[in-house]
Amino acid sequence: MAEADHGHRCGRTDETMTNFILRRLGQSIILLLIMSVLVFAGMYVISDPVAVMAGEDATEADRQALARSFGLDQPLPIQYLTFLGKIVQGDFGTSFVYGRPVLALIFERLPATLEVVFLAILVGLAVGIPLGIYSGLNRKKAPTKVISFGTTVGYSIPNFWQALLFILVFAVWLRVLPASGRGPTTEIFGVGWSVFNAEGLRYVILPAANLAVALICMQTRLARSGTQEVMYQDYMMFARAKGIARSRLIGRHLLRNILIPIVTITGLELGTLIAFSTVTETVFSWPGIGKLLLDSIYRSDRPVVVAYMILATLMFVLINLVADIIYAILDPRIRYS
Amino acid sequence: MPKSLLAALLLSCSPLIASGAAAETLRMAYSTAPVSADPYPYSDTHTGALAEHVFEMLVGLDDSPLLATEWRWEGPTSIVFDLREGVTFSNGAPFTARDVVYSMCRMMYRVDGRANVVTSALGPVTDVVAVDDHTVRFETTAPYPIITQKLKFLKILSADAAGIEGDIAYDREGDCGIADSYPAQADFDNGDAAIGTGPYVYESFQATGDADLVRNENYWGESPEWGRVEIRSVPNNGARIAGLLAGDYDIVEQPSAEDLQVIDRDENFTYSAVPGLQTIFIVLDTSEDGAGGVTAADGSNPLADVKVRQALSMAIDRQAITDRLFSGNATAANQFAPRYMAGAPEMPELETDAEAARALLAEAGYPDGFALEFNVPADRYTNGQLVGQAITQYWTRLGLDVTLRTEPWSVFQTRRTEGELGVFMYGWGHPQGAAQLISGAFAQRDDDLGLGSANFSNYNSPAFEEAIQAWAVEVDPARSDEYLAQAMKQAVADLPGIPLFYNHELWAHRTDLELVGGAEGRTMAMMVSSK
Repeated sequence: MAEADHGHRCGRTDETMTNFILRRLGQSIILLLIMSVLVFAGMYVISDPVAVMAGEDATEADRQALARSFGLDQPLPIQYLTFLGKIVQGDFGTSFVYGRPVLALIFERLPATLEVVFLAILVGLAVGIPLGIYSGLNRKKAPTKVISFGTTVGYSIPNFWQALLFILVFAVWLRVLPASGRGPTTEIFGVGWSVFNAEGLRYVILPAANLAVALICMQTRLARSGTQEVMYQDYMMFARAKGIARSRLIGRHLLRNILIPIVTITGLELGTLIAFSTVTETVFSWPGIGKLLLDSIYRSDRPVVVAYMILATLMFVLINLVADIIYAILDPRIRYS
Repeated sequence: MPKSLLAALLLSCSPLIASGAAAETLRMAYSTAPVSADPYPYSDTHTGALAEHVFEMLVGLDDSPLLATEWRWEGPTSIVFDLREGVTFSNGAPFTARDVVYSMCRMMYRVDGRANVVTSALGPVTDVVAVDDHTVRFETTAPYPIITQKLKFLKILSADAAGIEGDIAYDREGDCGIADSYPAQADFDNGDAAIGTGPYVYESFQATGDADLVRNENYWGESPEWGRVEIRSVPNNGARIAGLLAGDYDIVEQPSAEDLQVIDRDENFTYSAVPGLQTIFIVLDTSEDGAGGVTAADGSNPLADVKVRQALSMAIDRQAITDRLFSGNATAANQFAPRYMAGAPEMPELETDAEAARALLAEAGYPDGFALEFNVPADRYTNGQLVGQAITQYWTRLGLDVTLRTEPWSVFQTRRTEGELGVFMYGWGHPQGAAQLISGAFAQRDDDLGLGSANFSNYNSPAFEEAIQAWAVEVDPARSDEYLAQAMKQAVADLPGIPLFYNHELWAHRTDLELVGGAEGRTMAMMVSSK
């Protein structure tokens, strides 16, 4: 992990960084293996795909044929090893329900999730950081009290309830935005995105806002507490005494120093939102991967669930790694050993 | 930001109010996403409903003639269908007997060993012969009267569209010498192979289950009102009804009881209901050697005693359930098939009498009751959990120690298949005739006759068996109904399960639309017209 090391010599930084990255990747393979065993066994215990998928008038022979076609006639350890062997060759398996490769299913739904999540993160940062700095700098002013109240409320409202409220206000009462679904997409680099056309954007607004509210509140609070702490540090006092312009003081000295917790949290939130926006995607019938995960759990579609969880874990590992690297750039004191 | 400015900003991104061209479009919200545009592998209602806009069967779901105009038994194992003349597929190819043979071949063909919608059910068919262009004959191993019910699920594909030339010789594996030419699921999903005789053709189908349809201008039957149909799936109940109120959809299926109250208050919206085919019932494991989750002080299985089963049935006030929990949008059941369904016999009301029920329990040797676990799928049936709670209360009043256990469908279904559930709630309803439930859920297993595929009650009554086996091979409709009535009366007397109620199918929609839904509950553009 990252740690402050004031007396480190600069010459060996690149080498230690490479070692650090390699070690982290090594650890993550073990993590992925444990993860896959847990999900594999978990899905096995919860439900039997054949029981869910065979029709009511299926004969015993039909059930056996179905189990065979899914590879479920083998003992569980063998099923798992077969699965591992295929993953090494880049084959994550075929969905029981859709009969199509799992990776294709996940990746064709990924853009829908990514566009909502990134829009929400952008809005969260763009609104949250200025609000937080403002309230940190002006602790006694009336708007600060409003912001503080607002973030407490915004952070406390359950996500699904807030989503239904948005639908009620903006879709049912005001009738300005669609209640659910994804709008028309524009093809860019062979992938359909709905944020790049006006009609599609209308569909993105509510789900993105639903995710953004919690983000705004969290970023505001992080920026506020960071500002309050940093503003009274000696170097800030000194900079002020030196007569540095207020804009430069905030833009360079303050912002840079409050960004570290914000980067950490944003990194983690990014991962969580991409992998588990299931509630928002379900309420808004947004055809992203979160909804795919939930549907697949309900339909006992084990290949999709297992591959999904492995990819999600991998993503968290990478995001944490990238966040650690960004720290080093933001704060020269941080070294990895 | 002032409120007016916010409103103005939001309004600026709203589209113009629906133009004249959009009025021809019907927008429908399904509660579950259709899996594929391929009509063969998936047997769920929504995949079926979508497919039936584009493809047609020989026999309609309501037993009416569709692509066949008439059918008759030429012997106990041979049935002949006269096909409708002047029908063309959406690619212009004429519909002939060859297409029926081709479709049967494709239905019987197991990709990767997996059965299609009615592969097993049509297993007794030994041959399908195109007698001439508009006559087709089905031969079966033994008398198989329910073949007309099963053929309701054989969507007719175009042999021409698959590039097949000349006559096709049927075989029971479905290879028919043409297996290499069968279109794959992807060919249906991208529209290339999705060529049927139905009133609509695909404009697009997305893997998420969203589909856009346009009118088939060459349709042989009555041309549907809507030039274009957009089908979206919105599984969340609240979001679905909000989508209707917001004007995103013209019709949404399966509104909840609370939704109906909202709809009632708004003059722009209304709802339509039709008594449905689904019977909700409770299965009781009658085995002498014990039932899962059922424990009596003396170690016996109380459910093996018919008096106990009668007591459990008498304790339940069905009318109260349909009135209170469904606001009348369900019909109290008196047998194991909707009483309004063709072929269902006349049966007396099932009485509610808690006193008599307690007396029966005491008579059976359980004056102090016994413990049972009542299993209900949490996410499968309308008001399922509420009904589960109500019945738990009725049985608790009887002096039983009842534990209500609600679980997600996949978990419930797995435990049920393992035979772990001694008492569970279930729903059964496909457009396959009034005997479907009892022949599947209460008959002894016989894969050749298609009986007892889901007999978790372990019911085994000689009188019932005799009647249901006679029914299974009787091709004469009147005698078939007689056997059905015998079997039904025996089942209701013995109660290997407890009939509860028949679900009604509901749709919420704009007031200026008129909707005539079918009992099978499929949401079809053809059933909607403007007033």
